[in-house]
Amino acid sequence: MKFKNIAIITAFITAIVLPLIMQASANYYAIHVLGLLGIYAILCVGLNITIGYTGLLDLGFMAFYAIGAYIGIILSAKGISFWYIIPISLFIGGTFRYLLGAPVLRLRGDYLAIVTLAFGEITRLLLNNLDFLTNGPKGLPRVGETVLPISIFSFTLRNDIHFYYLIVFFLALAIIVSYRLEHSRLGRAFVAIREDETAAELSGINVSNTKLLAFVISGMFGSLAGTIYAHWIGFISPESFTFWESIFLVCMLVIGGMGSISGAILGAFILAGIPEFLRPVLGSGFIDYRMLIFGLLLVVVIIFRPQGLLPSKRRNLELRMNKNSE
Amino acid sequence: MLLSINSVNKHFGGLSALADMNMSAADKEIVGLIGPNGAGKTTLFNVITGVYPIDSGEIVFKNKNIHNHKPHKIVKNGIARTFQNIRLFSNMTALENVMAGRHCRTKSELFPALLRTKAFSKEEKEIQDSSKEILDFVGLLKSGNELAKNLAYGQQRKLEIARALATNPSLLLLDEPTAGMNHSECNGLIELIYKIREKNTAIIVIEHQMNVIMNISDKIVVMDYGEKIAEGSPAQIQKNPKVIEAYLGRNN
Ligand SMILES: Nc1ncnc2c1ncn2[C@@H]1O[C@H](COP(=O)(O)OP(=O)(O)O)[C@@H](O)[C@H]1O
Ligand SMILES: [Mg+2]
Repeated sequence: MKFKNIAIITAFITAIVLPLIMQASANYYAIHVLGLLGIYAILCVGLNITIGYTGLLDLGFMAFYAIGAYIGIILSAKGISFWYIIPISLFIGGTFRYLLGAPVLRLRGDYLAIVTLAFGEITRLLLNNLDFLTNGPKGLPRVGETVLPISIFSFTLRNDIHFYYLIVFFLALAIIVSYRLEHSRLGRAFVAIREDETAAELSGINVSNTKLLAFVISGMFGSLAGTIYAHWIGFISPESFTFWESIFLVCMLVIGGMGSISGAILGAFILAGIPEFLRPVLGSGFIDYRMLIFGLLLVVVIIFRPQGLLPSKRRNLELRMNKNSE
Repeated sequence: MLLSINSVNKHFGGLSALADMNMSAADKEIVGLIGPNGAGKTTLFNVITGVYPIDSGEIVFKNKNIHNHKPHKIVKNGIARTFQNIRLFSNMTALENVMAGRHCRTKSELFPALLRTKAFSKEEKEIQDSSKEILDFVGLLKSGNELAKNLAYGQQRKLEIARALATNPSLLLLDEPTAGMNHSECNGLIELIYKIREKNTAIIVIEHQMNVIMNISDKIVVMDYGEKIAEGSPAQIQKNPKVIEAYLGRNN
């Protein structure tokens, strides 16, 4: 068996078994942290489609996470099931993403970074101020409203470990979607655009539409993660969706390796995991210094391993000619 | 006529890069485009392929005006090109570069790719097979899994041609394909141009090596200061006094 397959199977078995061990040793906090890592991993796998594959610098990704989270709570409080909210959230998140991307992605240069950054801030301001919809800084749900629990057939998700497995399921789905996309005609077009936009257009690729597609798809991963998170935690407020969270995601990709799915996941685990696992050890005062530690980590990676810890590799294809293809 | 360029003007600020430029290429014809540095040859390629809009005039390809079209539409219409300074997808393999060139002749969209439908797999195989054939045609099949940036300079030039051929062009624009090559690389490339010619693809080639251009061209167009100063068979061009002056009367 190839090394890669062994690694995937090992990772999968670990993902299934590890929380069971933690549950048995009553380490509930660790399970909660694993769930968070899963959410960050979904976000990074999504953001990797724009930044990693297509080379579009997106600095406001958390806005779409926020949109997904708010849609999740608002609709859930109205009694709509999680399983209906997911497609609605994907649709609305994708639509916002389209409306943002369509005018900007036609322009060349670094407008996108600035516009996405601004959109992230505007979203946070709107969440703070559109009281009738978002309840402002007090967050959602409002007093007296409840988030409808998620049920799978007759089983209702209650504990962190239940949500953990739900997150693993969606993370697996996100990985499959991203992998299949990467190894397709569209995925090649994404990477070609990253490598040389002009050469891509002059090789027959519709650059602006293809960029827009990558941008919309990746935003949907954000909304998905937001909707799941909101149902799990059951409470959201604008302060969870700051500019720094978006930058944080970009750092995860840089450390893990741009354009690589396994890199995106590793980056998420390292940057989101270190502070959570060190908090109980070093006390919560340590959290104040985490940005310092990330900064150092980032500098070290950029100097010693600029392509990231698990850099993307192009897949080798069978080169033998197929004689009956004539 | 496959391609007609009629009274095309293109300015960059005060500089007239193309001044009332006229030229044409017939089906299967090999046109050599020569002229001193800065004559406007690359600019001509850029306006034909839609990189720059033109100020006035018209560009007609297969009886359609194409001068307002987007570059990818023009490629789909059948014009492919290479670049004076190589522009490959450096971090993709040689084979993937060619496969990217197949993009405009294939159509799998998002959902077939995600669901891995039969049609998707069939088309993916078609893309791989035809791309391997093209790599083999330019003599790069063995290096198919190398990253483009790791190929030797001469191989990179060939790979660029392979990527252009992958779009099934009826007209191929080659911008100084032998520039910067050593002697043996150069010979390999000339052989390749002869081979492409046998495929009946029309070619416009910008080339500084006179022996090459005189050998392969059916017709030669000479430019200077954005204008066409001469046009004719290789034998006629060699004797044309204006051409001799443009080349010998100026040192650059
Ligand atoms: N994008 C541009 N902006 C300004 N000037 C340009 C641009 N492209 C080409 N030129 C100018 O147009 C003239 C023709 O250039 P070019 O077409 O590259 O010549 P050639 O390929 O024949 O050597 C040159 O003087 C060049 O400096
Ligand atoms: Mg030139």
